[in-house]
Amino acid sequence: MTKKIILLTSVIFLSSCAGTSIQDLGDKFLDLINPSDPAVEVEDLSDSVLMLDDESGSFSGEDLAESGVDSSEQSRTQTATEVAVETLEDAGVSFVLYFSYDDTEIDEEATQVIIDHANFMRNNPGISLKLEGHADERGTREYNLALGENRALSVKEVLGLYGLENRVEVVSFGEEQPIAFTHDEDSWQKNRRVEFIYQ
Amino acid sequence: MKILKTLVLLLTLVSTAAYALLEVTIIKSEENAFPIVIAPFEVIDDAEQGAEIADIIRDNLNRSGQFNALSSKGVITNKIDFSYWKARKKDAIVFGKIEKVSSKVFNVYIYVYDIYTKKRLYGKKIAVHNSGIRRISHYLSDKIYNVLLGQKGSFDTRLTYVTMTNDENMGRVYQLEIADADGHNAQTVVKSSYPILSPAWSPDQKKIAYVSFKNGRSEVFIKYPFMRVKSIKLPRFDGIASAPSWHPNGQGLVLTISREGNKDLYFYQLESKKLIRLTKDSAIDTEANFSPDGKSIAFTSNRSGQVQIYIKDLTNGKIKRATFEGTYNAKPVFSPDGKALALVHRVGKDYRVALLDIKTRDLTVLTQNKLDESPYFSPNGGMIIFATNRDNKGVLSVISLHNNQIVELAQKGAEVREPNWSNYSK
Repeated sequence: MTKKIILLTSVIFLSSCAGTSIQDLGDKFLDLINPSDPAVEVEDLSDSVLMLDDESGSFSGEDLAESGVDSSEQSRTQTATEVAVETLEDAGVSFVLYFSYDDTEIDEEATQVIIDHANFMRNNPGISLKLEGHADERGTREYNLALGENRALSVKEVLGLYGLENRVEVVSFGEEQPIAFTHDEDSWQKNRRVEFIYQ
Repeated sequence: MKILKTLVLLLTLVSTAAYALLEVTIIKSEENAFPIVIAPFEVIDDAEQGAEIADIIRDNLNRSGQFNALSSKGVITNKIDFSYWKARKKDAIVFGKIEKVSSKVFNVYIYVYDIYTKKRLYGKKIAVHNSGIRRISHYLSDKIYNVLLGQKGSFDTRLTYVTMTNDENMGRVYQLEIADADGHNAQTVVKSSYPILSPAWSPDQKKIAYVSFKNGRSEVFIKYPFMRVKSIKLPRFDGIASAPSWHPNGQGLVLTISREGNKDLYFYQLESKKLIRLTKDSAIDTEANFSPDGKSIAFTSNRSGQVQIYIKDLTNGKIKRATFEGTYNAKPVFSPDGKALALVHRVGKDYRVALLDIKTRDLTVLTQNKLDESPYFSPNGGMIIFATNRDNKGVLSVISLHNNQIVELAQKGAEVREPNWSNYSK
């Protein structure tokens, strides 16, 4: 409900910026130009009101306040998945794998990490896994989106050897979700990764 | 409390709506530039917009890299002092007048004279609405460009691009924006907490195709910015869907869809909603772009083991490799005459925009930057816009192919990326 109001307001605001009512601009302009005038070469200059799609989750902050959810007041019980995952984390198993530049290969160390996760999944049959693939910022965005997917698919392939492929979803974010931002190898190394996210 | 929050959000919208693209000329070259003078417009009846028109025309012509347009101080009412300008080595003069017809309507008169022959090259009278001043100025800039150079200008066109801001309160916010080709009139079309990439104007400028992660993964959407019509989501399989590029007839798009791990090019027909598979290789095929005649597509593929560019002839199905220099060539876009590709080429560790002559295979690197991306031609083929970094901030850069002059477009407090240039406004 609040989202709709804001959307309407933003649309009105944007149109009022143009300095005139956009709706009647078209008709007025066309009336003024005499069709026989050789100067008539420009089409109607009016653009309709811009239809803004506002999907920014920043408004979810408001929604939360509305619904009365305040996490600091209520104690939320952990789900069984979260408890199990915490145990895996406590055991020191890594939830991120890193890759070499422009590469999707899994080395021995990484394979061992994947095996740990495979065992975890076998011991927790209800849990499903999302593998998120990422790339560093160098090169083109779309190619990096594909590269990120291939990295996650390499990990999934290993899990497939344990018959777990049906419980694994692959999503690529390409270079869009870096976790390090210094534009050098230090950061790039940390961004070339696949993350294990259980749900 | 809720009212206060709504007000705060409104104010935020106010400030973001006010941000335009700021233009900064970085490297100006006067080589090969046509020296002309633009006189301020004679103003009749309180029509201050005259100054604006002259300024916009001057800035447009200078940005093309093909003109060295100076403003003169004196208003020209009837007589032009040709010998005065000849002595100052100007080749042409632009002047005009603007008169108020009503509170919001003006008559604009514009004239272009050749200083050497003293001939009038162009003269026009146009009635304009107040809110159409910028548009008229761009339209006239294209006319002047054409009359003096014999080629089409690219001023009455629009850009689309993506901005990203990141602050403590809102987190990351991505905006798909459109603006005039000179960076003015920036407006937000889509605003999201999730990444947006690859915006592409449809040939008729009525739609924008783009990639959004709002549903948790990359998906391709088509948005009608000016109509109250629902956005269309293009089909996908079990993986990425991305890199949309329009067929020149506007009836479909080529895009990259991943199926069972294999990323290939597919053509989506808007009316029938049919998907036609265009590549079948097990390698990554992505970043496809239609040639201006719609008969071929250039695309990025790693089928050879390196990232290179290929061209598929859609009339006979043959795929040929197009780039042979260097180990990384990607994101090809055809020039409007179909003879060249702009692309991203790796030199050592740097990624730079380059120009490939398709026939001769000659590659010319155009910049000395480190992280160039997303090149796209202006509709007259005279300029290339691309994304790059300036002091660790994402900006758009426009390079003139006539003398390598560079103009940058930045936005205060935001990263700007993924530029796309529209066709001519019809």
